[in-house]
Amino acid sequence: MKFFDALQRIDRRIIYIVMGLLVIFPLVKPLGLGVSSGPRARTLFDAVDSIPAGRTLLISVDFDPSSMPELYPMLAALMRHAFARDVKVLLCGLWVTGAGLADKAVTEIPPEYGKKYGDDVVYLGWKAGIDAVILGMGENIKNVFPTDYYGHPLDSLRMMNEVVRLRDIPMAVAISAGTPGYTDWLNFAQSRYGLRLGAGVTAVSAADAYPYLQTGQLTGLLAGMKGGAEYEVLVQKKDYSRAYMPAVAAMDSQSLAHVVIMLLVIVGNIAYFATRKRGA
Amino acid sequence: MHVSTDILTWVAVVLTVGIFSFLWKDNPFYKFCEHLFVGISLGYFISLTWYNAVYPDLFRPLFVQPLSEVSLGNKLLFIIPLLLGLCYFCRFIPRVSWLVRFPMAFVLGWGAGVTIPAVLQTSIIRQMQGTFLTPGIFARWDVFLWAIISFVGVVCSVLYFFFSREHKGALKVASETGIVFLMVGFGASFGYTVMARMSLLIGRFQFLLRDWLGLIQ
Repeated sequence: MKFFDALQRIDRRIIYIVMGLLVIFPLVKPLGLGVSSGPRARTLFDAVDSIPAGRTLLISVDFDPSSMPELYPMLAALMRHAFARDVKVLLCGLWVTGAGLADKAVTEIPPEYGKKYGDDVVYLGWKAGIDAVILGMGENIKNVFPTDYYGHPLDSLRMMNEVVRLRDIPMAVAISAGTPGYTDWLNFAQSRYGLRLGAGVTAVSAADAYPYLQTGQLTGLLAGMKGGAEYEVLVQKKDYSRAYMPAVAAMDSQSLAHVVIMLLVIVGNIAYFATRKRGA
Repeated sequence: MHVSTDILTWVAVVLTVGIFSFLWKDNPFYKFCEHLFVGISLGYFISLTWYNAVYPDLFRPLFVQPLSEVSLGNKLLFIIPLLLGLCYFCRFIPRVSWLVRFPMAFVLGWGAGVTIPAVLQTSIIRQMQGTFLTPGIFARWDVFLWAIISFVGVVCSVLYFFFSREHKGALKVASETGIVFLMVGFGASFGYTVMARMSLLIGRFQFLLRDWLGLIQ
């Protein structure tokens, strides 16, 4: 029984150290556990894959640096997928603190495919207003964003001559870390303008997104870093990209950490019930 | 191993270690990093709001652009949002603090009018439609099974929150079934939360091992 008492009094810092080591080890020496793609990621992939070349995919960057490890790999993989198929990418954001992250993606990814800013990709930036921004984009994007993130008038960007309002866009993907995010795109773009919408969300908010998937309001869902890894695998499988896959590289660590947490939960419960029985 | 020589990477490393130091115990270094984060976030927010919203959408057309570009009528229209915005600052002057009610009323009225029908359509009507048992569900056994589970789950979970009658007999059975569904939901949310927190930890270690130490590709 002393053993169970001791189990319940493990210093939390020991658990942190064990967890840290278990996360670091597979990053340095990958275990090669592999990543399989689930139906939700495949649905989103197929939907993006079906966008005709030359048309535009809208990506809403609704996250900030605190959720970057989970969501940035999704953004990068989606952009690579689109560019590999000659689909144009229009980016905007509902999170002011995420403006720099979309800028990073626009700077780094299009050159990999020889894509030119203004012709193949445009970043609108961020505007205050959330629902007013989305509703305004439904009427005329130029009214909401007269200039892009870098100050170029939208009229001077060739890609924006073909994209006037949301109805000109065959599909959008909202990559969201919370509110505002995919729910606002559902409320004001999907239900009002019929915009086909996929979502990439943090694992914390994934459970809330499933009902929208079941009703068909969302076309595909990427949940957390695992969702990003699934999409990276799909993109690489079709030979759309040979770039480094940060989410896939993290999956061994994620799996090990989950195993340890499950063990801790089981052992903790056994110890609790053993000592409670003795107390009773 | 190839340690980074980029000064910004080193700043990020020091701040990362500072935040992680809280895992050992609360300390002044952690507090410094936390306050720095809050301050920088707010400064970044204010700066972006000014350059992306206030200046291009209000200040520039009202005060900078000449009458040849923005007509007098449009300039006068811009005075309305300017005044409403300034009313927010009246909160700091007790004698006229009641003026803050005007922009609040505008925002609440507009927000409710726009949001309520949209949320009703997206999150209630479409979700209710999703629980309907239609002839299509009999096409495949797995679709039928999930449709029944969804239907029972929704009905029982809603009955758990029905407080106008004591939970006895059939109502008790239904509401307790509802608890089971709620617990499954909470369990799924907790599992996803663990996954999310681990992802963030892995992201930071990836930064330390790749960008700083150059230990991984």
